[in-house]
Amino acid sequence: MSSRRPRQSAAPPRITDDQIIELVSKLRQLLPEIRHRRSDKVSASKVLQETCNYVRSLHREVDDLSERLSQLLATIDADSPEAAIIRSLIM
Amino acid sequence: MNHYVSDFEKDDDCAIPTSSTLTRSKRSITSEDEIMELLWQNGQVVVQSQTQMSLKKSQHHKYDNTVLPIEQSTPREIRSSHEQQQHLLMQEDEMAPWLHYPLNDTNFDQDFCADLLYPSTACVTSTTTNTSAAPIRSTHNPEARLHPAVSAATATATATNTATASRPPIPPTRRAEVVQNFAYFSRHRARGGVSESGPSNLKTVLKESTVVDSSDTPAMVSESRISEAAFARSTAGVSSGDNACGIMSGAAVAGTSSRGGGSNNKDLITCEMTVTSSPGGSSASAEPPSQKLATDDRKRKGREDETEYHSEDVEFESTDAKRQLRGSTSMKRSRAAEVHNLSERRRRDRINEKMRALQELIPRCNKSDKASMLDEAIEYLKSLQLQIQMMSMGCSMVPMMFPGIQQYMLPLGMGMGMGMGTEMGMNRPMMPFPNVLAGAPMPTPAAAAHLGPRFPNPTFHMPTIPTPAPDPSRIQATNQSDPMLSAISTQNPNLQHRVLNFSDPYQQYLGLQQTQTPVSQNQAKTRPITSKPGTSQAAENLDNHQSGT
Repeated sequence: MSSRRPRQSAAPPRITDDQIIELVSKLRQLLPEIRHRRSDKVSASKVLQETCNYVRSLHREVDDLSERLSQLLATIDADSPEAAIIRSLIM
Repeated sequence: MNHYVSDFEKDDDCAIPTSSTLTRSKRSITSEDEIMELLWQNGQVVVQSQTQMSLKKSQHHKYDNTVLPIEQSTPREIRSSHEQQQHLLMQEDEMAPWLHYPLNDTNFDQDFCADLLYPSTACVTSTTTNTSAAPIRSTHNPEARLHPAVSAATATATATNTATASRPPIPPTRRAEVVQNFAYFSRHRARGGVSESGPSNLKTVLKESTVVDSSDTPAMVSESRISEAAFARSTAGVSSGDNACGIMSGAAVAGTSSRGGGSNNKDLITCEMTVTSSPGGSSASAEPPSQKLATDDRKRKGREDETEYHSEDVEFESTDAKRQLRGSTSMKRSRAAEVHNLSERRRRDRINEKMRALQELIPRCNKSDKASMLDEAIEYLKSLQLQIQMMSMGCSMVPMMFPGIQQYMLPLGMGMGMGMGTEMGMNRPMMPFPNVLAGAPMPTPAAAAHLGPRFPNPTFHMPTIPTPAPDPSRIQATNQSDPMLSAISTQNPNLQHRVLNFSDPYQQYLGLQQTQTPVSQNQAKTRPITSKPGTSQAAENLDNHQSGT
């Protein structure tokens, strides 16, 4: 991110661009797709976009898993330890 | 506005005188052909040689008298207008004539003003049409064409001159050119403070400018004023899409650009402003829109113009052509800078937009600054991944629960539960399950396999705890916690340590206290890194947990 000019709306001055860059790179490492490509040319915008998409996909997956666990829970005894586990997983 | 107005007034006088010189120079620059061309373009599309210049002078007076004779013999008018233009340019102090020039000058005015005032018609029509005085609008094109030459001449004459000049020489579409011309024009104006003097002209110009706004017919306005007003209007007109207006707007832009920041242009702009402001009444309505448009255009082009204007000043005197060339260079630079700024701004906007979107996705994210928000995003992402792993594992593990797993799973599950977002003592209710698992079948390889590829474990950099080989003895020793682990590990080593570490990130993420399960805590401690030790510790932790529970 450029900091050519002081940006009033930007983060407080103590938050430097390097910080942002580092965070973005960390985020990039978490992302499954970009990791495999060259990471030096990925823009922050792309990283953020990928992160949003990834978070959404993870949410979907969580929902899906919760659904499955609920179904599993229904199939086993409510008193079984598995049920407890499942419940814990589902929360 | 006021500011500009004042400047305008001050500069008025100085600007005007230069116009005349410009005219001369322009004339010199423009060969006979040019002159003739100018004339022609002026509105009458009459190619007149310099002879007309003399005529111009005479007409100049006439021009003074006739405020807006416009519809005169086209060739003659063109000539006269041209001459007048030049004449005006030369006669810097003769603001009146210059002012009147556009008005009086038949062809010129018609073409000139027409183009300016009625850019749509004029511009489109092209030079040929401009020739006829009647279609003032048509003159716009010719004026546009003449503009370069005329502009040179008019520049000296001040805004009005420029207007005329701009009209003919500048091709309707050549905003830049117009701008340039305008820049020159403004310069001259600043120098000579030419036309400004004539408030009446202003008014006329204003009126015409108003017309421009309304009807896109710039030609009408007195040249001097018109040019300014027209420019302002033309910007407005241009906005409307008229070439003629474009020219005018170009001038206006030039003027406005100065407003934006160019000192020289300021003069021009001020002139414009004054022009617009002076009449106040009629053009008031027109002015604001035009000004706004002009402002926008100016901002866009003003910078370019400004730079151009400054740099061009000298060149302008020399040659119109050179002037335009040089202007383009500086203009390009400024434009490049502008483009860069714009692109940078867009990029930043995109990034901010995505940051906001990400913030929406992250639960309980109340951070406003980027860094902390990114931090939270990273943590949340990790926790989400962990959670999914856990759940996936749970899905596949449940069918194959075996005795030891519960001990292991529960703490993890509890940790996860806490991490998941309840962030309240969910783990407590979960606590009681620890020893329930009994006789659960060994996890089937299929299940494990299923579990493995099921969810992405892309980023778990956590050190893989070396899958403890199925170790019955160990299992026994560890209170059956290992079987599950080993089972899991056999199938998917990564899962194992992930499971171990699962609760940790969650807790960390949510900042919750370690689950009351000591196991979780132990796991957290063990998480880092080592594989075997972690596993053993986990097993031990489970053991402890069991005992603790």
